[in-house]
Amino acid sequence: MRKQLLSLTVNGDPVELAVPPNYTLQEALRNDLGLKGVKEGCSEGVCGACTVLMNGAPVRACLTLALEAEGADIVTIEGLSKEGWLHPIQEAFVNLGAVQCGFCTPGMIMASKALLDRIPNPTDDDIEAALTGNFCRCTGYAKMRVAVRTAARELQEKAQD
Amino acid sequence: MRLPQFEYFAPVSLEDALKLKDQMRTSAWILAGGTDLVVNLKHRLLAPAALISIRNIRNLTGIDLTPDTLVIRAGTALAQVASHPAVKEHFPILVKAINSIGAMAIQHFRGTIGGNLCLTPRCLFYNQSLFWRKGKGSCHRTGAKDCLALKGSESCQSICSGDTVPVLLALSASVRLVGLGGSRVVPLTEFFSGLGESPYHILPEEILTEIRIPLPWAPISWSYQRLGMRSAVDFPLVNAAAVAVLDKGKVEHLRLVISAVGPAPVILREAEKEIKGAQPEPRMADRAAEIALRAAGGVVVENAIQSRDYRVKMAGVMARRAVKEALRL
Repeated sequence: MRKQLLSLTVNGDPVELAVPPNYTLQEALRNDLGLKGVKEGCSEGVCGACTVLMNGAPVRACLTLALEAEGADIVTIEGLSKEGWLHPIQEAFVNLGAVQCGFCTPGMIMASKALLDRIPNPTDDDIEAALTGNFCRCTGYAKMRVAVRTAARELQEKAQD
Repeated sequence: MRLPQFEYFAPVSLEDALKLKDQMRTSAWILAGGTDLVVNLKHRLLAPAALISIRNIRNLTGIDLTPDTLVIRAGTALAQVASHPAVKEHFPILVKAINSIGAMAIQHFRGTIGGNLCLTPRCLFYNQSLFWRKGKGSCHRTGAKDCLALKGSESCQSICSGDTVPVLLALSASVRLVGLGGSRVVPLTEFFSGLGESPYHILPEEILTEIRIPLPWAPISWSYQRLGMRSAVDFPLVNAAAVAVLDKGKVEHLRLVISAVGPAPVILREAEKEIKGAQPEPRMADRAAEIALRAAGGVVVENAIQSRDYRVKMAGVMARRAVKEALRL
């Protein structure tokens, strides 16, 4: 099985990698690029811990072949903070205690980011629909909903400034 | 979990993809969204020599509205289908079915409509890890000549689990299958083989390119009913779709389908015949339930997370609710 060349943008930086065809995007991001925020939970697309943004849409890195991401723009949790400042969604999760053990958090935040990029002012139903594919086994869902709502307000205020 | 080894091709035209498929036949699988295929590969349920990715083939995505047909290219992402104005206007039932699939962040942006229609049928004894399956022995789909769910069965009894399947069938959709030699349009009524090991009438050298839904000649009233263990991240235990045309107080047209009961969806023709032409009345929903119960009783086997008895009973309930809603009872 020959390795194939893959070029993509990860967190704003152009990256070139040589990967075998049976490599998933999750393996490429985590093992080759050291982005440990891309968690491997169930590895079969159920838990959502490996969620990253691919051209703005939330996808399972564990179910996406690395080669399928050719030319794509990938954003992981590591790409959200700017100049040492956490992203408002991260801020809200920290401040409101929407983080317990923390394993599902990167996936939750990426799924929330995808939601707020599409719908800046989501209803509770929108938030629930967007996060149904992300499992938290500490069951901190209620606080996450509040955190996403708070982050949405925060982001809108920022946009107005 | 690591993936097994395979070759990977990403041809830039449908013709190149068809050439590859023509050479490799069943040893090459088409990779669209991969949300089901990759899981099955990880569990070592499939061992293709190659995957042919369709991501570079432009004319396999998009939606066209012709004067009498809505043409959805097979590689169109589910989210794109559900948000398309023509789909929303003409077929809200399809939007409802798509929204009930898995979870938004898993299937909707990567998963495709062609992939959901041609989902690999599922079975409690098949969709398991290699380790789990080793303890159970082999079946029709893993190299033996028996079925673990129904001893002595001559074919695989896995369950057709797509949410869009009963809906597309109720909308009288057809599919376009393309091979190097040409293309053909097959109505969905003739698309399902009823065999779990080879569930669709697609030739090894063919690729599914389009799903064609005829535009209704009159306003349709519809219902999609689905039962799952959870509202998200789950395949249906039973689902049902009803599409009706009501005119001058009578049921002009009705298509009633239950699915996720066996390897193929079941059209409840007996119920349709009884209801068509008559005035909608509450006993019709009960009759549909009886007929669904009988039909499901003949095909459901003990191979899902819920018992056979429960699934049969619920097939009746789903059919009743579908008829009730579609006939506005």
